[in-house]
Amino acid sequence: MITKIVSKNFEIPDSHLIDVALANGRYSSLKSVFEKEPQELIDIIKQSGLRGKGGGGAATGNKWQIVSDWDGVKYVVVNADESEPGTFKDRRILSLDPHLLIEGIIATCYAVSSNISYIYVRGEYEEFSDVLQGAIDEAYEKNFLGVGAKYRVDITIHRGAGAYICGEKSALLESLEGNRGHPRLKPHSPEPEFYFNEPTLVNNVETIASVPFIIENGADAYRAYGTEKSPGTLLFGISGNVNKPGVYEAEFGISMLEFIEKVGGGVKKGKKLKAVIPGGASTPILPYEMLKDARLDYENLSALGSALGTGGMIVLGEDASMVKALKNLLRFYHHESCGQCTPCREGTSWSDKILDRFVAKKATTEDLEILKSVSNSMNGKTICVFAPAASGVIDGFLKHFEAEFLECIV
Amino acid sequence: MSFSFSQENSIKIASLLNRYPHKKALILPLLWFAQKQESYISEDAIGHISEFLDVPYMHIYSVVTFYTMFRLTKPQKRVIEVCATLSCELNGSEDIKAYLDENYSKDFEVIEVECMGACSGAPMCAIDGKYHENLTTKTIDEVLK
Repeated sequence: MITKIVSKNFEIPDSHLIDVALANGRYSSLKSVFEKEPQELIDIIKQSGLRGKGGGGAATGNKWQIVSDWDGVKYVVVNADESEPGTFKDRRILSLDPHLLIEGIIATCYAVSSNISYIYVRGEYEEFSDVLQGAIDEAYEKNFLGVGAKYRVDITIHRGAGAYICGEKSALLESLEGNRGHPRLKPHSPEPEFYFNEPTLVNNVETIASVPFIIENGADAYRAYGTEKSPGTLLFGISGNVNKPGVYEAEFGISMLEFIEKVGGGVKKGKKLKAVIPGGASTPILPYEMLKDARLDYENLSALGSALGTGGMIVLGEDASMVKALKNLLRFYHHESCGQCTPCREGTSWSDKILDRFVAKKATTEDLEILKSVSNSMNGKTICVFAPAASGVIDGFLKHFEAEFLECIV
Repeated sequence: MSFSFSQENSIKIASLLNRYPHKKALILPLLWFAQKQESYISEDAIGHISEFLDVPYMHIYSVVTFYTMFRLTKPQKRVIEVCATLSCELNGSEDIKAYLDENYSKDFEVIEVECMGACSGAPMCAIDGKYHENLTTKTIDEVLK
């Protein structure tokens, strides 16, 4: 079930050091990169069907095209603010194969005609960020980066400081400009992101790390994996009540239950599977009964009423309390709401407090009604998708596990 | 007490200046240098950064208060951050927190934090920025001894 493209070098000792990286194929795609015109590279990425691996799954090639076509000084920003609960894949790339990321950044910068790249790393990832900095320094010494390089790219790590919302690309750019991480209003027609008003590409770490394989082997080689609409592979995460939690790369479209059983080692202590949060906390929970034919790709999980998100599955066994689990997640959303929009700031706070009464088994029928109404008031009425995600999480738990909530009503 | 960056940090800051199109982008990096230097961000440090970058004091203050990891007060003890988000809770983070509170709160400030991106190593904590995963009461004792 495992397919290693991005994670190919993860288990090689000292894979973060440039000599080891070079001996294992790193930077070898750059020859193909510089032989081509930037537009050819964008076309290859389009043909490969590569989709953003930070959760949204947008077509990467289209994003590149928009930035490439826009006039101005261009920036490439790598989103390494991985903070979605259940997601811990990008840190593997940062610490186990940072040169793959650097190689991907050089190719991406060349394709969209940018010379400046920032990697926005969440503040908590200090030790992994230090490994990445070491790799960047080595890449400068070997003239893959900087003035001595064939194509000049300068990479700067920018350290976040503990705000989940900065994983949202426009909030990330606000943060990178020296502001609070408040998401920006979205445009009605396609346009790039902007860093200090200049056209900017924001891509997730794993997305960029997938680029070297595609350039070197061609779009068809990538499309040989996965499904028609979700081509390639993803670094799936699995955690919660499972025997072998971890990050495992696999093709899109494989069976979720098989993955949990064979790769994740099944539910701990031989317990039954109760539910799965499929792709990070913000994707609606799915009960076991719905998972028989569930496949790990964007289309299938969306058809089931959830989403593939980051591919970070949180597995809940039969002993897990759904009331407690939802309370846990709402405490997270309450803490992480950026506070800019009232429905989100107030809604996450109310939901969090109401759920305390459910956990204490002292809720009333009215509490349940208020919880539903607050959830409704958060959906589709804010600047970014944070509140709609929180609303979807509440609705998912109530839809599939309402009985457990009713049991907490006095 | 006035604030100024150490010589070592000043050199690092000088090398960062040409990395960004506008000085304002240096707010987060400079706040990190200040916090590393003094273990928290003092009003004097905010004032110094405000003058250095020519950005209003109030703007910097608003940035400091937005981000969870910046502290405006000096920590009295070393901090242990225990992740309490779902995958950690499902794997016993509440027991870990209770054990730390009971046995180590005299010497450490034990706080709960949200997802640290270490879900496969749940339960976990971070001490001085370093991750300790797959915690048990025994491994806690070994780490903190």
